[in-house]
Amino acid sequence: MTISRRGVLQGATALGAAGAAFWGFAETGKNFYQGVMGTAQAKGIAGGALPPEYKVDPATGEVILNPDQRVGYTMCMGCTSVCGIRVRVDKASGDILRATGNPYSPLSTNPHIPYDTPIKEAITGLSAYGEQGLAGRSTACGRGNAAIAKQNSKERILKPMKRVGERGSGQWKEISWDQLIEETVEGGDLFGEGPVEGLRAIRDLKTPLDPENPEYGPKANQLVVIPVFKNGRLMMAARFAKMAYGTRNFVGHRSYCGLSMRAGYAAMLDNLKKQPHLKPDYRHAKYMLFIGTAPGNAGNPYKLQGTLMGAARGRDGVKYAVVDPVLTNSQNHAFGKDNTWVPIRPGTDGALVMGMIRWIMENERYDAKFLAQPSGAAAQTAGEASWSNATHLVIDDPEHPKGGSFLRQGMVTADLEEDAQKAPMCLDAQTGELSPAKGRPATLFHQGTVRLLDGSTVPVATSLSLLRREALRKTLAEYSADCGVSEERIISLARDFTSVGKQAAADCHGGTMHAAGFYTAYAIVMLNALVGNLNAKGGTTAGGGRFKDVQKGPRYNLLAFPGKVKVKGVDAGRGGFAYEKTSEFNRLIADGKSPYPAQAPWHSFTQPMGAQWLTSVLEGYPYKAKAVITWSSNPVYGVAGMENDVKEKIKDTKRLPLFIAIDPFINETSRFADYIVPDRVFYEAWGWASAWGGVPTKVSTARWPVVDCQTGKTPDGRHMDMDNFFIDVAKRMELPGFGEKAIPDADGNLHPLHRSEDFWMRAGANVAFDGGAVPESDDTDMTITGVDRIRADLESTLKPDEWRRVAYVYNRGGRYEDAVKTYKGETFARSYKKGIQIWNETVGMARNSMTGKKFVGCPTWQAPSFADGTKVDKAFPPDLWPFRVVSTKSQLRSSSTGGNPYLDDLKLSNAIAINTVDADQLSIKTGDWITVISPSNRISGQAFVRHGIARGAIGIEHGYGHRELGARTHKIGKVILEGHSNRGLGTNSNDLGYTDPTSKRPALLADPVVGSIARQALPARIEKMG
Amino acid sequence: MNSRREFLKLAMAGSTAAVAAPAAASAQAKPKRWGMLVDLRKCIGCQACTVACTIENDVPEGQHRTAVPVYELDGPNGPSQAVLPRLCNHCDEPPCIPVCPVNATFKTEEGAVVVDAEQCVACGYCVQACPYEARFINHKTGVADKCTFCVHRTSVGLLPACVETCVGNARVFGDLNDPESEIRKLMAQHETKGLRPEFKTGPNVYYIGLDDRLASTVAVGGGARDLRQGLETSAHGEV
Repeated sequence: MTISRRGVLQGATALGAAGAAFWGFAETGKNFYQGVMGTAQAKGIAGGALPPEYKVDPATGEVILNPDQRVGYTMCMGCTSVCGIRVRVDKASGDILRATGNPYSPLSTNPHIPYDTPIKEAITGLSAYGEQGLAGRSTACGRGNAAIAKQNSKERILKPMKRVGERGSGQWKEISWDQLIEETVEGGDLFGEGPVEGLRAIRDLKTPLDPENPEYGPKANQLVVIPVFKNGRLMMAARFAKMAYGTRNFVGHRSYCGLSMRAGYAAMLDNLKKQPHLKPDYRHAKYMLFIGTAPGNAGNPYKLQGTLMGAARGRDGVKYAVVDPVLTNSQNHAFGKDNTWVPIRPGTDGALVMGMIRWIMENERYDAKFLAQPSGAAAQTAGEASWSNATHLVIDDPEHPKGGSFLRQGMVTADLEEDAQKAPMCLDAQTGELSPAKGRPATLFHQGTVRLLDGSTVPVATSLSLLRREALRKTLAEYSADCGVSEERIISLARDFTSVGKQAAADCHGGTMHAAGFYTAYAIVMLNALVGNLNAKGGTTAGGGRFKDVQKGPRYNLLAFPGKVKVKGVDAGRGGFAYEKTSEFNRLIADGKSPYPAQAPWHSFTQPMGAQWLTSVLEGYPYKAKAVITWSSNPVYGVAGMENDVKEKIKDTKRLPLFIAIDPFINETSRFADYIVPDRVFYEAWGWASAWGGVPTKVSTARWPVVDCQTGKTPDGRHMDMDNFFIDVAKRMELPGFGEKAIPDADGNLHPLHRSEDFWMRAGANVAFDGGAVPESDDTDMTITGVDRIRADLESTLKPDEWRRVAYVYNRGGRYEDAVKTYKGETFARSYKKGIQIWNETVGMARNSMTGKKFVGCPTWQAPSFADGTKVDKAFPPDLWPFRVVSTKSQLRSSSTGGNPYLDDLKLSNAIAINTVDADQLSIKTGDWITVISPSNRISGQAFVRHGIARGAIGIEHGYGHRELGARTHKIGKVILEGHSNRGLGTNSNDLGYTDPTSKRPALLADPVVGSIARQALPARIEKMG
Repeated sequence: MNSRREFLKLAMAGSTAAVAAPAAASAQAKPKRWGMLVDLRKCIGCQACTVACTIENDVPEGQHRTAVPVYELDGPNGPSQAVLPRLCNHCDEPPCIPVCPVNATFKTEEGAVVVDAEQCVACGYCVQACPYEARFINHKTGVADKCTFCVHRTSVGLLPACVETCVGNARVFGDLNDPESEIRKLMAQHETKGLRPEFKTGPNVYYIGLDDRLASTVAVGGGARDLRQGLETSAHGEV
């Protein structure tokens, strides 16, 4: 008898008997496994265990290194958390043996060790010596452990490939690097299908791409570059695409990842452009409320939040609740009654939170002292760690030209200096007089009228009054009916949240990616404002930032160079540009026609909408693309509804003449490419990243090749990768910022950019010198960490006083501010300075491009709706579409982990989770095959019947249902890269996504306000199969 | 591969004799007695331990020396998610040892139950005798296999792989003979339980926050599978 795989592991077990054996995965995985690890034999009592990388003298703690191995510190990319890891490598084979955490990194260690800890001492600190390695442990998660299988995967693309036959046919031929560069730059009759414009011809910075609509910008915008997330290498791609080539269409994946959350925080934090966001202070919070986020189960930084949630559950006096349609490992049985799962109907979290806000308002449970401070100065006097515009007066008439904006001093008082004119007005708390927001408390609630300089009278209200009005728009009973959470539960959540002062925090994330996402997120994060927790110990933090790397730093400026282009024009996804400013709008007005609705939604104050790019450019609204470059991104898999919309259109070379993908693997998007450029996997690559959130001290994580890169080499001996592709394209086109004289140092001397190292090592010099230089590394430390392998490049690229300091940083896998600098008294040392926007003027003045109506400038409850405001539930009524599908995040899977043998071993397929009562009504049992039907599509899988999912919800774990990443056979020349059917098991809930039926031109269903793609709360019904 | 094995021998040279020999053969004064404590409140069920163990110990696909099943139970506020990291309990009275016909499995002086792969004849008696499903016949090596408390690491001053990479810091490994050790201190502060007390095996893996429904039911032929099928328990099954 063996420990059966099904017997011990989560998830797969739920599928019952039709598990592992049925799908016949064992043989395939085993081959892979052997490829990664080699053949090992059981020997003696240690079996096939790896030899230890070092041993520690039990008496002295002295470290004795294994001469056959090395341990280097770099950055993980198993998911998007970009943690610091230590990678153990077999010197003889060059293979990665195992990866776990970097003790210097605050993303992997709690708390991380002081930065000046000697390398050997850090190693002792991880060992059993004096039990140091228990408190000092530095970890990698399951996915981070498993990710090492990527490096030696047989499915890696190591040479440039060009399609043979039609797009997506899976037939390729290998081509030389020179041919790749020549064809992509110069174009020509590349595929025997007629002429194709190359990158050189498309780069026209003068001619408008559409003379009818000059605001769209120059032809160069018809190169659309879709990169991966902020993985530490993004700025090289940005330097090429935006700064040198000059297209404005370069943006990450936020609009289909967590834009609703980012926009909600951004609206509150008064920075819609950079979209900062907050994280709870897990270390000191007494009450935490998670809505649409599941720390410890998912989120970012996934691992650190897991560590901190574990620590919080070990402390006295901590309580939290997780509001989620699906029960996950965020909730922990052993922690008992102090953590609660609150099941909720998908897409309705906004109703619950507005109900909470209503109760908080009615019972005056908000922090009145904090909210009364109208400025930073007032807050400082009052001893508050932040301030808000709760007391600022808003012009409360949507029809007024200034409706939704703040009443400013210049509107009521003549002859003021410019600064004074801009000052927002409030009522002084003591005198009740209308006065500019200054260093004294102001009145919280007021609705009245004000006479303006022009003699007119306008209604005004304080921001807090407007929030209260929105909250009171519905009764608690109505909110409860909308979200399916009882009134008592809503009240108890509100009471708990407002019972511990500033040591309460609320957070949200991808669960809000539905068609009511923005206001939902804005409402959730607004709870923080009501208890005044920003910057407070135990409250929320905007994070500690990073050391300067590519931006202008103490040594180099990697973002400025002679001839740098300033991009212009409209985003291909219609994001961040007001419809009212378009020529189209003005033509309609001039023709006496109603400009509304727009042909497809525009979103004026959001970020560029990368998620809509493929849909828009294949449709040609606002315009077509002439070339698309994707880099390690996979929107066809990751964007809800994308594959349905584009899978045929993307094959049409008239709609899209040139498609280049840069990727180490063939994914659901790059399968359609004309060319695939090989790239490094993360253990082999260069870069600088920071924490995405949740780290209150400065973080700069280094990425450098801790193992040799496996891709082919260019004729001059560089490894083929994203960096060198862009460098060589740029040099052939003679673009600014590449080649000789490309990178200015602090003295204005220009240095060359011919290869990855030229860029990233100089960024490292900035990191090493920012805020005071780090010490120089000695030779011994470089040998221990393997940095000696890049020593020659460091010496030849950097200046004599730089290279050993950069080596010091690489030795430690980055640069990290010490944990003791987290707090200053009862507040975070690095605090967020801007005021909290109870009412956001930009939001409150913007209009819906489909209806022309102004948006509400504060949190409010609007059920998931199409772009024109029609409720999704109206078009797809619950009696016909009784279910709402949610994409739940996996602890092990990401979109990019498909085919990882260690992860496949744990759970090869997902299942379709439904509630026990719902299942009974449909006579469905766990293991039954069912079909989920959405307005656009249908998917089939096995049911997983459980109590831990809300009634009416369908939960589908993300990361399954792949059609590529090893699931499909490709032919490269005469070589067959065999696909394995078991790689594509399970379902991808994004297949159920759909286009907005109220949009004339195709647009994927999105939040009506900011355009974040709706992957949650998709209407559906279930049919039992066979 | 050769060089790696060489170091293994080298690294273990000092303590191999003590570790590999049956406990009775040693004459050390105050030996360590290894144990593990899992604080279930801190476990997030991320399977870092599962994967790290697989990689560190070259455990074949489909087999595991440790893993973390997740269960759905009735909790004080409705359905509740329970995690349970499982591994060999390195029992004081290990039922797997007496059944070995060739004395291939034994307890080290430091308390780890191990198998000498070169002696094992793969009869499978020990696998059947273990009430915790902690043993299996390794597909690759063809002999009995199980958690060793990472003897190759713990014998040279390192921690087991699962402990090193435990994201929630839930796994605590240490010397049960040392009252000042972290594990003993935590055991003094908290109520701890072992799995399947009815078997009187004297398990040396302890849990903080273990629900009795899991303590007594997760076992061969009854526990895990019954839980999944919803039998004789108020648990809802594995998630």
